[in-house]
Amino acid sequence: MASEGLSYDGCNFFRQRLVLSTLSGKRVKIKNIRSKEDDPGLREFEASFIRLLDKVTNGSRIEINQTGTVLFYQPGLLYGGSVEHECNPQRSIGYYLEALLMLGAFMKTPLKATLRGVTNDRTDPTVDLLKSTALPLMKKFGIDGEGFELKVVKRGMAPGGGGEVVFTCPVRRTIRPIQLTDPGKIKRIRGVAYSARVSPQMANRIVDSARGILNQFLPDIYIYTDHMKGANSGKSPGFGLTLVAETLNGCFLSAEMTSTPQGQGDPVLPEDLGRNCAKLLLEEVHRGGCVDSTNQSLALLLMTLGQQDVSKVLLGPLSPYTIEFLRHIRDFFQIMFKIEVQKPLEDERKGGDKVLLTGVGVGYSNINKTLK
Amino acid sequence: MRTKIQKKPKQHQQKHSGPQAEKKKLKKHGASTETDERKRNPKAFAVQSAVRMAKTFHRAQDIKAKKHHIPLVDRTPLEPPPIVVVVVGPPKVGKSTLVRCLIKNFTRQKLGEISGPVTIVSGKKRRLTFMECNNDINTMIDLAKVADLVLMLIDASFGFEMETFEFLNICQVHGFPRIMGVLTHLDSFKNNKTLRKTKKNLKHRFWTEVYQGAKLFYLSGMVYGEYQTQEVKNLGRFISVMKFRPLVWQTSHPYVLVDRMEDLTDPEKVRIDPKCDRTASLYGYLRGTHLKNKGQIHIPGVGDFQVKDVNFLPDPCPLPDAQKKRALNEKEHAVYIDLPASHVNQLQVCAEMQPTTELVQSLIDTHATLDAKMAASKVSLFSGSATLDPTDISEQKQALWDPKTQRERRKVLFAEEMKDDDEEDDEDEEEESEGGDEGESSGEDDLSEEEDNEEDCLSAFLKKSRGDSVKASGPPVKKSKVEAESERPVFADSEDELEMSEHESEGKDQPLGAGDSGHCSEDESDEESEDESEEGCLMSNTVTKTPCFILFVSTGALKWKENLQLKASQAFLRQQESAPNLRKLVYGSVVEVEDDEDEEELGGLFRVSRPQNNKRFQANDLDSSHFHPDTTHNWDLEEMLNSIRDCFVTGKWEEGQDAATLLKEDEELYGDFEDLETGEVQKGQAMREDLSEVTLTTRDALKFRAFLKKRRLKERFNAEYDDGDATYFDDLKEELQKQAELNRAEFEDVDDETRVQYEGFRPGMYVRLEISSLPCEFVTSFDPHYPIILGGLGSSEGNVGYLQMRLKKHRWHDRILKTRDPLILSLGWRRFQTIPLYHIEDHNGRHRLLKYTPLHMHCGASIWGPITPQGTGFLALQSLTGIKPNFRIAATGVVLDLDKSVTVVKKLKLIGYPYKIFKNTSFIKGMFNTVLEVAKFEGASVRTVSGIRGQIKKALSTPPGAYRATFEDRLLMSDIVFLRSWFPVAVPQLYNPVTSLLLPIGQKDSWSGMRTLGQLKHDLGIRYKPNSDSLYKPITRAPRRFNKLHIPKELQKALPFKNKPKQQQPKGKTSRDLQRPSVIREPHERKVAALLQALSTVHNYNRKKTHMVQHSKHKEFLKEKGKQEDAKLKRQKEARKKLYRVMGQMDQKKQRSSLKGAPQDD
Repeated sequence: MASEGLSYDGCNFFRQRLVLSTLSGKRVKIKNIRSKEDDPGLREFEASFIRLLDKVTNGSRIEINQTGTVLFYQPGLLYGGSVEHECNPQRSIGYYLEALLMLGAFMKTPLKATLRGVTNDRTDPTVDLLKSTALPLMKKFGIDGEGFELKVVKRGMAPGGGGEVVFTCPVRRTIRPIQLTDPGKIKRIRGVAYSARVSPQMANRIVDSARGILNQFLPDIYIYTDHMKGANSGKSPGFGLTLVAETLNGCFLSAEMTSTPQGQGDPVLPEDLGRNCAKLLLEEVHRGGCVDSTNQSLALLLMTLGQQDVSKVLLGPLSPYTIEFLRHIRDFFQIMFKIEVQKPLEDERKGGDKVLLTGVGVGYSNINKTLK
Repeated sequence: MRTKIQKKPKQHQQKHSGPQAEKKKLKKHGASTETDERKRNPKAFAVQSAVRMAKTFHRAQDIKAKKHHIPLVDRTPLEPPPIVVVVVGPPKVGKSTLVRCLIKNFTRQKLGEISGPVTIVSGKKRRLTFMECNNDINTMIDLAKVADLVLMLIDASFGFEMETFEFLNICQVHGFPRIMGVLTHLDSFKNNKTLRKTKKNLKHRFWTEVYQGAKLFYLSGMVYGEYQTQEVKNLGRFISVMKFRPLVWQTSHPYVLVDRMEDLTDPEKVRIDPKCDRTASLYGYLRGTHLKNKGQIHIPGVGDFQVKDVNFLPDPCPLPDAQKKRALNEKEHAVYIDLPASHVNQLQVCAEMQPTTELVQSLIDTHATLDAKMAASKVSLFSGSATLDPTDISEQKQALWDPKTQRERRKVLFAEEMKDDDEEDDEDEEEESEGGDEGESSGEDDLSEEEDNEEDCLSAFLKKSRGDSVKASGPPVKKSKVEAESERPVFADSEDELEMSEHESEGKDQPLGAGDSGHCSEDESDEESEDESEEGCLMSNTVTKTPCFILFVSTGALKWKENLQLKASQAFLRQQESAPNLRKLVYGSVVEVEDDEDEEELGGLFRVSRPQNNKRFQANDLDSSHFHPDTTHNWDLEEMLNSIRDCFVTGKWEEGQDAATLLKEDEELYGDFEDLETGEVQKGQAMREDLSEVTLTTRDALKFRAFLKKRRLKERFNAEYDDGDATYFDDLKEELQKQAELNRAEFEDVDDETRVQYEGFRPGMYVRLEISSLPCEFVTSFDPHYPIILGGLGSSEGNVGYLQMRLKKHRWHDRILKTRDPLILSLGWRRFQTIPLYHIEDHNGRHRLLKYTPLHMHCGASIWGPITPQGTGFLALQSLTGIKPNFRIAATGVVLDLDKSVTVVKKLKLIGYPYKIFKNTSFIKGMFNTVLEVAKFEGASVRTVSGIRGQIKKALSTPPGAYRATFEDRLLMSDIVFLRSWFPVAVPQLYNPVTSLLLPIGQKDSWSGMRTLGQLKHDLGIRYKPNSDSLYKPITRAPRRFNKLHIPKELQKALPFKNKPKQQQPKGKTSRDLQRPSVIREPHERKVAALLQALSTVHNYNRKKTHMVQHSKHKEFLKEKGKQEDAKLKRQKEARKKLYRVMGQMDQKKQRSSLKGAPQDD
C-alpha cells in the first residue's frame, strides 16, 4: 500500500499527533524528542499515554528508540471496551481524558475507561471542567445517550494523585454537522468548589469570593461545594474552583483554578483563588465564542470528522494549541477551515474579537464499529 | 340431415315482471344516486371488529412507511459532472452502433470508431459521458462502480446471455445504478407472433432481475447500418430526463473516469531505462464527492497511488447555461454576439437552437510531453481529440464485419426451458443461427465449439478462442482510411445540414487542421491567455471568430447580502481584509511580508507568530490545551467589566430580540384597529412613532428592519400553519434540506482556488491528477477501450487488515467454495485476490471454521484485505480468464467488521487413554506431553466416546503428560478419553491486487493469479490419494451364531408347563427288535388271495348295480306318490270348496230368513 507516513519534530502536541494518526490511520514518526535536553527522550507521562493508547486500540505498532527520542506509531483500530489505566501523576487525568474524548465515539465497542491518578492540577484542564464543558459540546455533535458519562469517583490532587474517574462513551458511526454561530447570552453560572484533605471551610471561602465578583453581572449563580472525605479524597491536600457559564443557546464557557500542589511554590489563599478564578471566567467571557478555549480543538476535530456538510462554529481567539491543531488537521485530513474574524460593533459590549470557523467534514465514518 | 335440423340453444328470455325485473329496472334508471359505496351501503362497511380495523390500519401505515427512503443530504453540486452512461452487452449486439446513434442524435455528429469515453451536452443542465463496456468481466466490474445509467443491450434474436446476468449481479452488489434494457436484432424475426412472444418473455425476465416495470426499449431494425432515428430519439429523451438516486459508495468517494492520459516522464529517463516508473497526468471530470489534494487513490487494475498533485482546469465541455444567462432568446443572442471578445464557445449559441457541445476525449498518450507542455495543459486538453477519429475508423469496420470474429455465446437457460433445450439443443442452435444475422456458418461454428467444450478438450478450445479474440480486439491498427466525415475535426457544437456541408468544404481546404492543431496550439502561449480551453483546435475551423459576451452572474450571492445591515456589511468587508492574513497565520502557506500594523491589529487575537520562526522554540514545549493569555485584562476596572456586559442576559439585547422592541412590534401588528362604531381609525402608537422616525433614521436601517420583521412574520406563519401535522420524517427532511442549502451557499462567493483548499475539489470540476511511480506497463500497454478509473480512498482505506464479511455462495454458481482456495474479490474500488476462511457463528458467538461454504446459507468469511467501510458489498469470482459456459460470480456478500486480528477457531480433539482405573477416578495418558500442558488444562471437561463425562484434576509426575481425572462413572480400559478444544486459525495474509490493466494489449482479460488447489492438481496431474482406510469396501458379514438359551433349573420349576422347556426328543429310529418282519405268501395263499380279490370285485360290482336299479325304482315310486298326493289334495280342495259354498249359502239363507221371518213368526 502506498500510504506515506508523516514526520514531526519535538514532543510538543504529542497527543494531537497520535490521536489524529489513530483516527486517520496514517503512520506518524516523531523525531528529536527533547534531544537537546539533559534528560532526553519521552517522559513517564508520555509513555503512560502511549500505553493507554495501546490499551484502547488493537494492532497498533509502537516503536521507540533506545534513548526515547524517536517514536514511530502505526495506528491500529480503535477497540474500546473496558479499560483501566493508571495515569502517571506527572500530568493530571485531564491530559489523558482529552484524548479519550476525541477517540471515544469511534471505537468498536462502547468505551468504559477507568482512569486513576491526579484529577485536578494546574497544567491541564481538570476533570470537572471537561465534565461540564466537553460533554455538552459533544452532545451537540450527536454523541449522547445514556452511556455517555464522566464520573469523578475519587478526587486526587497533585502531586500524590489517588483519584479515580470513570468515562463511558457510546459508539457513533457518523457525526452530525453543527452550526454554532450564535452563543446567545449567558443565563446562569454554575461551579464546583472542591477541597480534599483540607478544611471543608475552604470551599465556602472560595465560593464567597467568587460570587463577589460574578454577582455584578448575574444573579443566577450557584457554586456547589464538593468536599471529599476519607478514601475518596486521594493522597494529597488541595482545593480549587471550576466555574461554568451557560448561555441561552446551550454553550458553555468555563474557567478554573487549582491550588498549588503541596510543597511546590507559594500556597494560595482560597479567597484569592476564588477571585482570580472568577476573573478568569470573565476573561473567558470576554474571549467569547460558542466553545471555550480548552475545547476548541475538540470541536474542530468533530467538525472535521463529520459528514461532507458545512459546519460552522464561532470561537474566541484561537489558542496556540488550536492553531497547531488546525495545521495538524490539514496534515492528516487535508482539510482547511475558512477563518473569518468578527469584530465587535462599536456600541456592542460583548468582549473581544471572535473567529468564525467554517469547514466541510471529510465524510468520516467509524470503520471500527461492527455491523450486525 | 341431423346436423342441419339441430336446434339453436334457447334464447334468453328477459323478465319483464317480477322482482328480478324490478331490480334491473332500478339499476338501469339509477335509483341510488350515491356514487360512494360507503354511503350507499353503509352496513357493508360497518366496523365489524375493532381488532381487525386496527390491523388494517397498522398494515396501511406499514405500507406507507415502507415507501419512505431515508432522506439524504442532497450533495449534488450546482454544476453536476456529466452522467456516466455505460452501454453494456455481449459482443455483436450493437453497442457501438447505439453509442454512435445516440451521439448523432444529440449532436448531429457522425463519429467513427469510439475507443474511450465520449462526453456530450444533451441539454441545458445535463451532460452525458458515454462509455462502452467490452466483454471482459474486469471492465464490467469497474464500470458498474462508476455508472449512473446502464443501457443493457440484449440480442433478442438470441435471448439473454450470461454476460447480461453477470452484469446485473455486479450492479446489485455495487449499488444499483439506473438500468434500462434495450432489445436489438428485432428485425431478424420474420414471424410477428414469435416476435411478440419473445419480447414478452424477455421483458418479464428482465423485470424480475431489475424491478417490475423496468423500462425496456425495443430497437426494431437497422436502416443503413444505424438504428431508426425516431427510436434513438425516444431513447435519448428518456436518458436526458432520467432522475438518479445517489448511491452510497459513489456519494462517499471521489472518483474520476479518466478520459485522457499523458505521460510526463522524462524521455531521457525512458530512453535509458525503458522499464522505469512513469509519471503521468490523468484528466477527467471529478464525480462523487470532494477530492482532497495529496490523497490516496486506487486505480482498479493497476493499484494504489498517492496523488502527487491535483489541479482543476476550465471545463472543456461546459454547460450552456454556465457560460451565459440563458434568459434571452435566440434572436436576442444574435445581437449580443457582436460584442468584441473572442470566445468560441458562443458559436453554438448563434448556430443552433439546440445548444450542444460535443467532445471526443482522446485517450492516446502523446509522447511529446514536457514540463512546458504541462504548464500549458489547459490548452492541450483537446489536442488529441481530432487525431483519434481518422485512425480508427477503418479498424472499426473490420472489427464489425470480420467474418472470423467468432466467439462462444454464453446462452442463459432458464429452468423451464432447460428441459426442452437439453433434448433438442442442436436443432435450436441451428434454427437460431439461421434466424440470427450471423449466418448459418457462424452458427454452426458456435455449435461445434460448444460440442468441443462438452467433449472436454477445453484447453485446446480456449487457446483457439483466445487467439480469435486477439485477432478481433487486438491493438487498434493505426491504418487510416480517410473518410470525409470523420476527418473533419470534431466541433464543440452541432450544426444543421447546411453548416455541416460548409464546414466540410472548409475541412477540405485545411485538411491537416484538425490533426495538427492540437499539438501546435500548445506552443503558442499567446493563445493560452485568450482561450480557456479547447478553442485551440476549434478556432482554425470556425467560420468567424465569434466574439463573446461573458457575464459573471453572482447576483444570487449578492442579493442576500443587500439585505443585511449596513454595519454588518462593513464588518464583513473588514474581516474580508483581515482574513487572508489570519489564514496565513494559521496555515502559513504563502510567505508574505506582513505589515506591522496588521500584526498589531491582530495582536489582541493571535499571539502566535509565523510557524517557521519559532518552530524550534515550540518543538519541545509543554503539551497543554490550556490557554493562558500573555496579557490578562485588568478585571478590576469598571470599563473592562462594562466591555462584556452584553454577554449576559442582564445586558442590553439586540434590537431584534429585545423584549421592548418585540412588544412594540406586536403593537405595530395588532395595534391598528378601526373603531367600527365611530368609524375612527386608531393608528398604533408605533406607527406614529415610525412616521416621526423616518426623518431620523436612514433608509437602509428601515429597510433592514422591515426585512427582519417580514422574516419573523413568515416564521410565525410557518410555525402556525405548516407544522400542523409534521412528522419526524418531515422534520428530518427539512433539516437536511437546510443543510444542503447551507452547503451550497457557504463557499459560493469564494474563488475556486481558495475554495478548493477549504472543501477539496468538488464534483463536476474537470481535474488533472498527477501520479508518479506508475508502472511502465500502464503506459506502454495502454488500451483506451479499457476504462481507467481513479477511485479516491477514505482516510484509512489505504491500510490492510482483517475483514470479516457475510458471504453467500451465488445460487447460480454450480459449486460450493472451499476454505483456503484463493478467490478474486471486487470490494470497494478494488479487485484483488485473497484467501478467505469460511466460518459460521455458533450460538455462543464463536466463529467456527467451515471447510466449505454452505449450499444455500450465509456464512462468515474472513480475509486479509484492504480496509473498507462496513456495509460495503462485494462479489467474488474464481477466475477472470477463459470463457466458461457457466455463471462466473461465485459469491456475494457484505463487509461486517474490520479488525487487526481474527477470531476464527476450529475444533481440536485431544485423545488420551486410561491406564489405571479406580472407582470413578482414572489416570489418563497420551493426551499431553508435559506437566505444564496439563496444568494449562486443569479443570477442563473431558468425555469418553461412550459419553461418560469427567474433569481433569491434576497432572501426575510420571509418565510425563499423564493426569488424574474424575468421571461420573467407572471407565473401562477400552474407553477412549477426549478433550474438545478450540484452536485459533490464522487467516493467510494474501492480498494480491488484480493488475489487469498492466497486461499487454489484447490480453487484458487473461490475468491469472494464484490457482486454487483443484486447478493446481488438475494442471499438475496430481490425483487425490485417499487413505486406504477411508475407502469404502464391500461389507461382508459372518452369519451370527447364537448360544443356546440356558434356563436355570429353579426358574424352570417355577414356569408354567406351557413355557417350560420340553424334554421330548425327536423320535429316533425304531430299534430292530421292535421292527415287524415283512410277510411273504405261499403260492397257494397267493392264489387264494387273488381269487378272493376277484370275487370281491365281482361282488362289489353286482352290489353297485342292484343299488343303482333300486335307486331308480325308488325314484319312480316317489314320483308316483307325489302325483297321487297332488290329486288327493286337489280333490280335498274341491270338496272343501263345495262345502264352504253350501255353508255360505246356508248362512245367507239363515240370515235372510231371520231378517224377514221374524215378524212373520211373531
